[in-house]
Amino acid sequence: MDILKPYFKKNTAMIIGSVITIAILSASALWQPKLLQNIMNATIADKKEQVLNYGVQLIVLALVGIAAGIASTYFASKIAQSVATDLRAQTYDKIQSFSFGNIEHFSAGSLVVRLINDINQVLNLVVMMFTQLLRLPILFFGAFILGILTIPRLWWIEILLVVFVLGLTGAVFARMGSLFTRFQKWIDRLNLIAKESLQGIRVVKSFNQEGNEIAKFTNAAKQLRGINLTIGYLFSLLIPSFMLIANLLILLAVYLVGSTITSHPGELAAIASYISYLMQLMFAIIIGAMTMTSSSRGLISLGRIKEILKTKPDVQFDSAAPDTELLGSVEFKDVTFSYPDAKAPALKNITFSVYPGDFIGIVGSTGSGKSTLAQLMARLYDPTKGAVYIGGKDLKHVNEGSLRKTVSFVLQKAILFSGSIADNLKQGKAGATEKELSWSANIAQASEFVNKFEEGFDHRVEERSSNYSGGQKQRLSIARGVVGKPNILILDDSTSALDAKSEKLVQEALARELAKTTVFMIAEKIASVINADKILVLDQGRLVSSGTHAELLQKSQVYRDIYAAQLAKNTGEVR
Amino acid sequence: MRNLKDALDYFKHYLRPYWKGLLFVTALTIISTWAQIKAPVYLGKAMTSLSRYLMAYSNPLTRSQASFADFHHALWLIFLFFLLSVIAMLLASFWISYISAYSGNNMQRGLFKKLQKMTIRYFDSHQDGKILSLFTSDLDNIFNAMNQAIFELISQIILYIGVIWIMFSLNIKLAFATVVSTPFVIIVAFVIIRKARYYIDNQQDEISALNGYINEQINGQKIIITNGLQVKSIADFKVLNERVRRATFKGQLYSGLLFPVMQGLSLLNLAIVIAYGSWMIVNGDVSKAIGLGLIVTFVQYSQQYFQPITQITSMYSMIQLALTGARRLTHILKQPEEDRKEDGIELKKINKGVRLQDVHFGYDPDKEILHGININVDKGKMIALVGPTGSGKTTVMNLLNRFYDVNSGEVLFDEADTRRYSLLSLRKNIGIVLQESVLFTGTIADNIKFGMPKANDEQMIAAAKQAHIHEYIESLPERYETRVDEESSILSVGQKQLISIARTLLTDPAFLILDEATSNVDMVTEEKIKKAMDNVIAGRTSFVIAHRLKTIVEADEIIVLKDGKIIEKGSHEQLLKQQGFYYNLYTNQMVFE
Repeated sequence: MDILKPYFKKNTAMIIGSVITIAILSASALWQPKLLQNIMNATIADKKEQVLNYGVQLIVLALVGIAAGIASTYFASKIAQSVATDLRAQTYDKIQSFSFGNIEHFSAGSLVVRLINDINQVLNLVVMMFTQLLRLPILFFGAFILGILTIPRLWWIEILLVVFVLGLTGAVFARMGSLFTRFQKWIDRLNLIAKESLQGIRVVKSFNQEGNEIAKFTNAAKQLRGINLTIGYLFSLLIPSFMLIANLLILLAVYLVGSTITSHPGELAAIASYISYLMQLMFAIIIGAMTMTSSSRGLISLGRIKEILKTKPDVQFDSAAPDTELLGSVEFKDVTFSYPDAKAPALKNITFSVYPGDFIGIVGSTGSGKSTLAQLMARLYDPTKGAVYIGGKDLKHVNEGSLRKTVSFVLQKAILFSGSIADNLKQGKAGATEKELSWSANIAQASEFVNKFEEGFDHRVEERSSNYSGGQKQRLSIARGVVGKPNILILDDSTSALDAKSEKLVQEALARELAKTTVFMIAEKIASVINADKILVLDQGRLVSSGTHAELLQKSQVYRDIYAAQLAKNTGEVR
Repeated sequence: MRNLKDALDYFKHYLRPYWKGLLFVTALTIISTWAQIKAPVYLGKAMTSLSRYLMAYSNPLTRSQASFADFHHALWLIFLFFLLSVIAMLLASFWISYISAYSGNNMQRGLFKKLQKMTIRYFDSHQDGKILSLFTSDLDNIFNAMNQAIFELISQIILYIGVIWIMFSLNIKLAFATVVSTPFVIIVAFVIIRKARYYIDNQQDEISALNGYINEQINGQKIIITNGLQVKSIADFKVLNERVRRATFKGQLYSGLLFPVMQGLSLLNLAIVIAYGSWMIVNGDVSKAIGLGLIVTFVQYSQQYFQPITQITSMYSMIQLALTGARRLTHILKQPEEDRKEDGIELKKINKGVRLQDVHFGYDPDKEILHGININVDKGKMIALVGPTGSGKTTVMNLLNRFYDVNSGEVLFDEADTRRYSLLSLRKNIGIVLQESVLFTGTIADNIKFGMPKANDEQMIAAAKQAHIHEYIESLPERYETRVDEESSILSVGQKQLISIARTLLTDPAFLILDEATSNVDMVTEEKIKKAMDNVIAGRTSFVIAHRLKTIVEADEIIVLKDGKIIEKGSHEQLLKQQGFYYNLYTNQMVFE
């Protein structure tokens, strides 16, 4: 709740309005039975004028109730609108301050769910708070007290009602909680089976497994049916039981009042209003229980949002550092790095340095730490130990803008955003000119297909960039990486979907057009980096060797092994 | 109208088995409602007799005649009515829970069964998410309506009619006073609902636009970070978020308005009835004793009378959603199913080979993709299919095991058209390794045994060994019992592929279709995949769709497909010598070596 406090503070006026209108609304509902009693008394006493007077009061009271109801909905909507929108914005801002580590900790999918579903739950929670949560206690205590005032000697009937209804509600809703958890579990299971069966429909059909899939689904559906039955039966019990409790107590009250009516003749007029209070009391409890159940979801969501808001970004840039242009030299000084929660470090005591303008290859098997090394260069993570220097400056003392301008990172997975090709390329350099765009597309070997589009760089990118092939996405992603003429360019296996010829053309263009840029190329195949000025060989997080291809063949066993394996395979195939 | 009929047909289909129960429930509901509306009459009578008693008692002349007999009689009847009403309601409610749990279960199973029988064409032309929403959204809406709306609708309508009937039989004037505002109330309710619908839709549109943005941005967050685009991302977010802010207020306001307004109108109506009733008494239209009883009775009715109006209006959207869902489901149930040809020829094994004879095909009848393909795969031979994206390679695979049928020409197994074989036996003989490996949630063993659940562990392990994945599985703490799911990172892309190769090996198919994976895997795994593939191909008639030319140089024949036509065919050496399309593809790939 505490994260909502500032938002409530911001809406103090609205909240005051909400409280006042809800108080009026509840009071009007509570006062009506009282007026009913009065008008009946007046009727019994034959006082025409009073009857008229109370009649008008009743109608005015109801009109006031309607007005207050509309006003309170207005205030609740205003508050909910403001809280949900601002909280969403705050959460989004926070996520934008996250580093790679934070994103991976939560996973992108979970962040999206929190921003969408959980915020929506919070919206519902706030609406509920300002429509029900405030109203129910007033109704409950109001009906209780007014009921006692109406027929004081029957106070114990109200107590009985509260005990029974509360007890029954408590008992049923307590069971309901665990049932709903199980229900959710099985419905998730059912949906999972359906989803996987859909996604794997070709596998299912080609292995003739339709029957087994149906059996699997039927089994889970049967479990769900059992739970549904229990929930249904429990709910079936609920309403009739409430009716029974309330009606029997009403009957008892009428009987008791009737039996002693001669000593309390005034109570004849009071019965009807007393019954109304009993009913209001019961409904306050029932609606209260339902509100509690649904607000528990909102509270869980609020907790999940709080988790985001309380998270500190793993990497925090020195925003006080001045803007500087960094040269393309890179130096690692005894860098060790462990991912959070990981047992073994991903990089161990890495030391190396690279001159501006060099073409550097990074090779090693899967899990050897190639990508991690590259990510430290772009300060996507901070080293656990040691320091990374770019252009001679410790990254800890460089502001984010300067670093991003200097280091361009092309990720393994090519992601484009919906919009146009130009929109995407301009992410690498805001306001890039048409000329710069085609220059970068030339380097990335993307011009060939971009030029085929009538609209050229204005050609649309659909959602999930579904209208581009894997190779085209990679080319555009490379173009985005080079358009800002970075001093350092990191290609993290970014040419995997390109055929070898195109890959070579990209390399040649880079050497020609970005001669001053230091290029790091992470590669699966040694062939891709054979001409590098320096190749870094990683093995299980250690930098085991470095040098040119020729030197490494001389001195590194690991390198020789990798190379031999790849070479053997090729010659074997080509025969 | 047609739509409504479709929707109702759906319910008819699934509720018909329970018609007796539903009839019984309706009868119970009528009894319960009858008892429920009868009780206030006697509550009024109790009041009347009580005030008569009081009047008689307060007059010394009649005091001796004052009696509680009427009062007690009325109370007894009320008690009986209450009891009857509660018992009938309980029974009806239990029964309806039973019916909705069972019919709901049938609906789920019915949908799943139907989907299993439908053609691949349907799945290819509809997004998984859309189909899945039949389960997660449409069925859900129907269940909600069944649990909360449909039964309620029946009972509320009965209640409504019952209350009107009894009110008019008690006192026509007061009854008029109660119902006179109804048209106005209904108009107000509908105006609010329509406004609410409009503004909620509006809010939903803005929210989906924002959600789309959030989804894309957060999933591309790494790009945003590496390019330092956070400020712009926030700025664009703000614009959309502000639009949502504007839409949220009206959406919440109008959808929140219905309840308090209806509640308020109900109280207003009650006030009118009370005031009017009292006025009638003091004017002498009715006697005091009867009048007081009437007021008490009508206070109850006025509430019960309003309840159905409020309930039905608030259920309106729920029922609409259920009808939409039912319509979609009816549409699904009408989709064509695969022709399983259960009386077809039994394909036992392949003796001669597989042949494509002048095959023409297009997913869309007007857009032909394959233009007269002839391919001959002799028994035990390996044929490789290469060609650029969109050349129709995968389409050929789709025809072989009848995921689709040809437009013209024939696909022949042992010189008989595939359409003449029983589908079950045809697919039993064809093993497929798909480009993207699909694993199901469960253990690794479940996944390898997927095609042959009855296989024993030795068979499974043998398959895993041949697929070069046994060692890795053994290195996992729970070995073959390790659980995998879509999200889990226990298996890499390459390893998933090895598992799917093992899965195919286990079923030991006579004819094999291999769609090679394009995804990048590391050298070691790639080597394993290569060996595993060699193992699968060995001794089998096979068809390999290759994306990397290195893997298929050993093929007995390589067929080069371009734009749906065969442009070159021959062995690797022959094709290289031709210096044609294949030669270019091959040299582009080998440029570094």
